[in-house]
Amino acid sequence: MTPPHNPFILADGKKPTCMEMLQLILDGEATAEQQHYFKVHMDKCMPCFKTYSLDATIKELLQDKCCKDVAPAELIEQIKLQISQNQAG
Amino acid sequence: MEEIVTRQHYSEQEKNDIFNNEFLPHINSMYNFGFRLTLDRDDTKDLVQDTYLKAYRFVESFQKGTNAKAWLFRILKNSFINDYRKKTKEPSKVDYQEVETYYNSEDVNRQITPDLRVESLKDMIGDEISNALNSLDVDFRTVIILCDLEGFKYEEMAKILDIPIGTVRSRLHRARALLKEKLSEYAKTMGYKNTEL
Ligand SMILES: [Zn+2]
Repeated sequence: MTPPHNPFILADGKKPTCMEMLQLILDGEATAEQQHYFKVHMDKCMPCFKTYSLDATIKELLQDKCCKDVAPAELIEQIKLQISQNQAG
Repeated sequence: MEEIVTRQHYSEQEKNDIFNNEFLPHINSMYNFGFRLTLDRDDTKDLVQDTYLKAYRFVESFQKGTNAKAWLFRILKNSFINDYRKKTKEPSKVDYQEVETYYNSEDVNRQITPDLRVESLKDMIGDEISNALNSLDVDFRTVIILCDLEGFKYEEMAKILDIPIGTVRSRLHRARALLKEKLSEYAKTMGYKNTEL
């Protein structure tokens, strides 16, 4: 029996590492075929399984807790003012 | 690889429409990105303002309906490098050659922070995550912001940062490893006993 085709293998024939596969999955860069392959792989690979949940949690935390600031209204006014002055001049 | 920038011809009205409808809606993302780069509120305001003024001035090299957010991020990133980074005494500590070697080496599969657990992360309030992110070198911080916070695709990141996609991937990998190291330090000081499962 031949092992299932690994859709992560690149044109240069280099076999990807677990972490390389995981990163593509995590960042939504994997194709449907790659996602399916990884799902099967993760069931048998403890490091992938653990790292995936950790990395996904960190990603969620970053999205929830960081970069929620709102630009100050006076900054927006300042920018609009500068633009209109440039137009006039 | 570099696209040929075709200059558009816009009327004053069109310019203003693009500015108001395609550029200004991204101001909060731009403000957050600026702050994560400079870590200073006043510098952030200057940087964002400069970026928008440049965007208006060069609006004819922007093609209506294309990715305005990526275009603006690229301008902001370049302004930061050219105008603000110079001001800081410290040169970049990142050795990209080293990053590439690291990424391509065999021990990439080795767990870097086996002691960081999902449960201890869940108890962290925003400050720890935010401080951990801010503590990273600006180049590492940037890829995490672009990817995880702003949701840019690798290809868009490559364009914003003017680096190949392979470098985007390796830098992102290294950045996450460093962030995890920081977070596991915080987890330890928070009193968690992170013993192996
Ligand atoms: Zn694996």
